[in-house]
Amino acid sequence: MNTESEQKLEQVLHQAFKGLPPRRAPSTLEARVAESLARRASLPWWRVSFASWPVGARVAFVLICAALVAATILGGVSAYLGDRSLNQAAALLQGWVHPILVVMASAGGVASLVVRVIPPLWLYGILGFGILLYVTLFGLGAAAYRTLYLRSSSAGGGL
Amino acid sequence: MRAYQDMVFSTAARLAGNDTQAEDIAQEVFIRAYEHFADLRGSVTAGGWLKTVTTNLTLNYLSRYRKRWRLFSEMRSNSQDSEADGPELDWEVPDTVLADLSVEDRSAIVEAALKQLPDHQRLPLVLYHFEELSYQEIADRLNVSLTKIKTDIRRARAALLPVLQERGGAADTLDS
Repeated sequence: MNTESEQKLEQVLHQAFKGLPPRRAPSTLEARVAESLARRASLPWWRVSFASWPVGARVAFVLICAALVAATILGGVSAYLGDRSLNQAAALLQGWVHPILVVMASAGGVASLVVRVIPPLWLYGILGFGILLYVTLFGLGAAAYRTLYLRSSSAGGGL
Repeated sequence: MRAYQDMVFSTAARLAGNDTQAEDIAQEVFIRAYEHFADLRGSVTAGGWLKTVTTNLTLNYLSRYRKRWRLFSEMRSNSQDSEADGPELDWEVPDTVLADLSVEDRSAIVEAALKQLPDHQRLPLVLYHFEELSYQEIADRLNVSLTKIKTDIRRARAALLPVLQERGGAADTLDS
């Protein structure tokens, strides 16, 4: 279709759509809204959204939360430090972190050893198999989507 | 609410292409309106506010429930893009369509035809022709490229015209 025809089509359709009245809302809509508002109004204040809480309750909630966070942090730090000096605490922390670093370094060493030992052809084969598996599963997903979802969504009749 | 419920419902229904979803969306719009009742009461912009909220909620609703299918939808539309960019349509565009029908008949035919368009064509078409947004605004709202919006709207029009002509002709015959 050329540009002239497209412009004409746009104008023709715009003319057909122009001045169309809004569709009539279902008669049940007003009752549904009223029922929903009544249900919301009957909820206690603490079950509605935070923005709708009374100001006093909101302020109290924020203060309590801040106090809890502060107490947790201070409590954690003081429990960790105890009567130790900062240097002792740092050494203790290092004692915890060190094994993790050792495990990670070992895992890295094993991985590099495996890469060196296994022939490159095998590695390429494994990589290729992984890609093939991914593409197959992706294709199956797409086929299932087209077959199950699109067919059912267009069952009402497409253009 | 009574003054605006038809406008809110029809905006949602045309965008969503589904009356049940449109009623849910309209309900949510009026609940939000109730929460802003103090600002909206007597405001001359209440209609515009309701229309904007309806459009936003409908787009959010559609994206929320269909996001999981988005990847496959785009795959499908891309493959369709490549197919449909080939041959040109060979029919002539008439000077008018549905012009001889009453507003009620025209409305019924247009609404039914819109429902049958796929989402990725109906949404930009409705936003362009009914909500009077520009191509760029639609692309921004739907987070889709400008080229794809233009293509989708062009195809939606091309799909709609024969349906409107056919049903318009049938309705005309029945009337006479």
